Amino acid sequence: MNDRYRLGIDIGGTFTDFALFDADTGAIFRHKQLTSPVDPSESALAGARRICEVAGVDLGQVGFVAHGTTLVANAILERKGARTALVTTAGFRDVLEIGHENRYDIYDLNLKRAQPLVPRRLRFEIKERLDLNGIPIVELGADEIRRCVADLASSDVGAVAICLLHSFRNSNHEVLLASEIRDQLPTVAVSLSSDVSPEIREYERMSTTCANAYVQPLVSRYVETLEREFVDRRGERRLFLMLSEGGLTSSDVVRQFPIRLIESGPAAGVLYAGLVGKAAGVNDLVAFDMGGTTAKACLVRNGRPRKTTTLEVARTRRLKKGSGLPIRVPSVELIEIGTGGGSIAKVDRMGLIRVGPESAGADPGPACYGREGKAPTVTDANLVLGYLNADYFLGGRLRLDSVAAERAIDDAICKVIDLSLLDAADGIYRIASEEMASAIRVHLAEVGADPRNCTLVAFGGAGPLHASYVARVLQMQGFICPPRPGVASAIGLLGAPISFDVSRSVLAKLGTVDLVTIASVLDELESQARAHLISSGVANNSITIESSLDMRYHGQFYEVTVPVPRELPLERDTLRDAFVREYEMLYRHRHDEMEVQLVTCRLRAAGATPSTGQLTSAEAPTPPISGSRTRPAYSREWGGKIDVSVYERSELPMGTVVEGPALIEEPESTTLIEPAYRGRIDELGNIRVDRRAQ
Amino acid sequence: MTLERRATALDPANDPVVLEILWGRLITILDEVDAATVRTAFSTVLAEGRDFACILLDEKARALAQGTFSTTAFVVTLPEAAKELLRAFPPSSLRPGDVLATNDAWLGAGHLDDFSFLSPVFKNRRLVGYVGTVAHLTDVGGRLDYFDSRDALEEGIRIPPCRLFREGRPDRTIFEILGANVRAPSLVLGDIEAIAATHQLGASRLSQLLDEYDLDDLVSVSEAILTRSAASMESAIAQIPDGVYTGSVTCDGRGVPVTLQATVTIAGSRLSVDLAGPPQTTRAPINVVWNLTFADTVFALKCALLPETRNNEGLYWPISAWAAEGSILNCTFPVAVQARTCTCTHTHQTIFLALGQVIPERVQAGSSASWPVEFRGRDQDGDRFAIHFFCHGGKGATPAADGLGATAFPYNSSHGSIEIYENTAAILVHKKEYRRDSGGPGRRRGGVGQEIVISTRSSEPVFARPKPDKIRFPAVGMAGGLPGARGVFSVNDDSPELPLSYDLMPGDVVTLELPGGGGFGSPLEREPSEVLSDVLDGLVSREAARESYGVVIDESGHLDEEETRRRRSLPPANSPASVQHP
Repeated sequence: MNDRYRLGIDIGGTFTDFALFDADTGAIFRHKQLTSPVDPSESALAGARRICEVAGVDLGQVGFVAHGTTLVANAILERKGARTALVTTAGFRDVLEIGHENRYDIYDLNLKRAQPLVPRRLRFEIKERLDLNGIPIVELGADEIRRCVADLASSDVGAVAICLLHSFRNSNHEVLLASEIRDQLPTVAVSLSSDVSPEIREYERMSTTCANAYVQPLVSRYVETLEREFVDRRGERRLFLMLSEGGLTSSDVVRQFPIRLIESGPAAGVLYAGLVGKAAGVNDLVAFDMGGTTAKACLVRNGRPRKTTTLEVARTRRLKKGSGLPIRVPSVELIEIGTGGGSIAKVDRMGLIRVGPESAGADPGPACYGREGKAPTVTDANLVLGYLNADYFLGGRLRLDSVAAERAIDDAICKVIDLSLLDAADGIYRIASEEMASAIRVHLAEVGADPRNCTLVAFGGAGPLHASYVARVLQMQGFICPPRPGVASAIGLLGAPISFDVSRSVLAKLGTVDLVTIASVLDELESQARAHLISSGVANNSITIESSLDMRYHGQFYEVTVPVPRELPLERDTLRDAFVREYEMLYRHRHDEMEVQLVTCRLRAAGATPSTGQLTSAEAPTPPISGSRTRPAYSREWGGKIDVSVYERSELPMGTVVEGPALIEEPESTTLIEPAYRGRIDELGNIRVDRRAQ
Repeated sequence: MTLERRATALDPANDPVVLEILWGRLITILDEVDAATVRTAFSTVLAEGRDFACILLDEKARALAQGTFSTTAFVVTLPEAAKELLRAFPPSSLRPGDVLATNDAWLGAGHLDDFSFLSPVFKNRRLVGYVGTVAHLTDVGGRLDYFDSRDALEEGIRIPPCRLFREGRPDRTIFEILGANVRAPSLVLGDIEAIAATHQLGASRLSQLLDEYDLDDLVSVSEAILTRSAASMESAIAQIPDGVYTGSVTCDGRGVPVTLQATVTIAGSRLSVDLAGPPQTTRAPINVVWNLTFADTVFALKCALLPETRNNEGLYWPISAWAAEGSILNCTFPVAVQARTCTCTHTHQTIFLALGQVIPERVQAGSSASWPVEFRGRDQDGDRFAIHFFCHGGKGATPAADGLGATAFPYNSSHGSIEIYENTAAILVHKKEYRRDSGGPGRRRGGVGQEIVISTRSSEPVFARPKPDKIRFPAVGMAGGLPGARGVFSVNDDSPELPLSYDLMPGDVVTLELPGGGGFGSPLEREPSEVLSDVLDGLVSREAARESYGVVIDESGHLDEEETRRRRSLPPANSPASVQHP
């Protein structure tokens, strides 16, 4: 592999972003273009050629292409996957639809659930049954397999998901069935729950496996197309994809586990925040990404994004837990904290301003876009308050209509309750910011982190405008707006290691389990993960391994993930102590008389992290061209309308100090620095904002 | 101008922005308490079944905010229990770290299993509010065969209002008495300790919030939330034409059917519900205490009138309700109450039927039922287990939507995971599947029920206690919609109308055929394509499509449009909708 040039490509719904890194010179080239709606690989290739042209590099010289994409998330959201069948243990085909039988909104009589990806008519049953230890109670017979394959053959499906009860304990039946299906129906993609998500809880495992199967044909085709183009002169493949867990992997792994791309793009954004934090010497940070339709946050500690295995996609109601489809794959823990700049404001029956969860999105968009949108949004409020420059939105490509924004707020808010236009806009801004802060606060509390020790790293189009408020109410250390917030994910892709996470549920009491069996599960997981990495071209001796165990008090239903260093022998007392420490930190109490149970073994294998020292450095600053202007901006917390200094970011040399209140504009975003705060352009090009010493 | 403190010069109560922010913050505190409860509980009832509620009360013990996923009835009963707890332990006697509790059925949520917990929150040594939880605990002792209980004293241990924790320290005597009187002490006491810890979390969050906004107390915020909520309920009521509307529902009861009736009177911005007419209390343990009847009543009204409004006590100020003392909906000590859900889960439907006469677009046809089954025994290792296996029939249809299949209503318990249940208890689930043709036919179809088949995996007998409902009287249809299918409970080949409790031996098989929800509107008006889709998915049989919906589908699964038109145009006497199905 030629490692001089690395290319990051992040495909989003609207834009595809590119970053090209030259390891020899440390230069980073950036490019952004519209995503081809029909075939996103088209724009990916066109943009790749374009950025290489600008950099004076031949595309064939690029030795490493890292790719993040929203393809999988969009396919599920828009139901554009394959016609998919499910095969499950006889008697359980409706588990996929019944789920947990509860309502995500207790008072809504008309509530709707997310439709499962496999309709009932394509859910097939097969006679077999394992008990809780994985021992067959009903064997899987050859006749059953034949009958099942025949059913599948006549149902014209492109993909099959297999999920049998307790298969995470013993995958034999799933493997047997899969091999027969592959033999007989070679064109059909097959996903096994014991491969995709070998963890206890059948509903979540089934849902995940179906989602994997559903996107498998689509992702395979897509990856093949890209790979044809990104083969270097020696015919070596050099395409790597970003997994939700924040590591890159080969296209082979992706073809097998496409569902692991579900948070591919956003994960790269979080990695970028992590790189920024590391370069800036910040240990604990919250990555805060706010765009036009969503706002997300992720805790990053010591450079590591917090992980989860519990995701939910395709919610039928925005921001409502339980209204979507559960997906269980390792992922950076991105919590949805709001609906972005497009969030719609209204007055509720109580006479209070509410913001979201309805969103005008990008289309029709906020009222000020001057399209069909007539409802006031957060972006409209930002414009009315003077935070946004009507002539410099998206670098001037979209002229904002202030009159339309004022009219929308006046109609929806001021005509209903007794508030001035500015106070109404201020209310929208504050409520939206407070809600995001609240969601971050709850999340940090749930994972035992203290916001006062964290720095906010804001990106996305709208993040830097709300960061000052959010960081202040959470009493955070301050906030950082990295350069070029609009192509954050593409840069993040360049700094990601090749890695793979694996897991398996074990369910055993710590007091009596034979720890040798746990050690052997970890060994198996390790060789499995290593094999994935080696097949992706990573040298075995450069692989690092991290393992952890999910544990709980025996009898509980939820686990705590406890890091268990691989190099140390497993030892009962140490494991128990580690668990109790973690548990006490999270929940502030302990049960000394209770037994501890091991639930799931987890392991991550990672190759070396590419050198990132230069990734976040700025291009050479240009000397200031013009002095600062001012613009009146309003906040009730500032006591009314005041003149705020306005700067063009590209004109601020390194080391510049900007006293709040100030607005720093750039084509993709605007950073607001509140009074009593001070911003500084650091040597990496970040805007670092801290409270001014009193 | 300082940004350190965020208090504005204005009174938050009159500021539509600050009030909104504070209100949202209060709810997130409860959601945090809720999440901690699920994550640290030991019982299936709480962690998997979510049969609990977290509530914040103001200094007058009025409910201000609740966790998003709270069980509906509990959020109304808790403030009532709180007032009784504070009668026994006046606010002036409370200290940080105290936890008051009772499981008295009449003071709380209507049976001993539901414990009400209350912890004070202080700011500058002044009491500013309370964090409360109502939780269904796994066991309270008493008769296992509770359908035979003659009075409440047979139903288990009753803890009168007590101070369970004093300044953070548990009262060991109470814990020991409780532990000595319940069948799964580690689950019961483990859950209580977990809940007490979540209260401290909630209390510290609330005092942080007050600090942050430089508020001395919640008084003005609380007053504003409650009065604005009351005003909003008043205006919702005022939009309904004045009048007197009546609905009634007959339910299985225990042996003798029980008919409940609600008369809803709308007069301007006031609404009153007269639950006169229910029979006197019975010897069967299906009597309901007033707290719970009131909760079920206002729940139905909130769903119909203000579903999207954040719940709090002020919403119910414009509503009054009444049931005769000594009736089955307002029973008096010491009648037996353990299986009260056989009665109280029907109360909401009487209200929906009454309101259906005037605002049919806002109500819902009959929902089926929750059939929790308790299993107790010893597993292969000889360890004791006790689980509540929650499962639900179909929800009723509304004018806008088909009923959801297998979904809890009116309460919001959850089904967990079969793999988890099988790892926790020595049971084996053979089947858990939708029941074809169980959804009540209608323009909007009732939610389908499900069939669940379970046997045991212990060499010893496993105690099983089902609580089936709607075996005799199905979930009603509305506006021409038909009722859902009745439920059937069987042990081996026996399907008793009055299931009791069972010692299941190896080889015994329990079958739960849960009822379906009622349909809304005439099934003849359902889009043929929707009927076809249900047939292709196997939720409706071809026979039922023809008989109940008048939709003819041939053997190859194609819609016969001509024959469908013909059947649907038959004169009413022969019209398929008059055929009761199933």
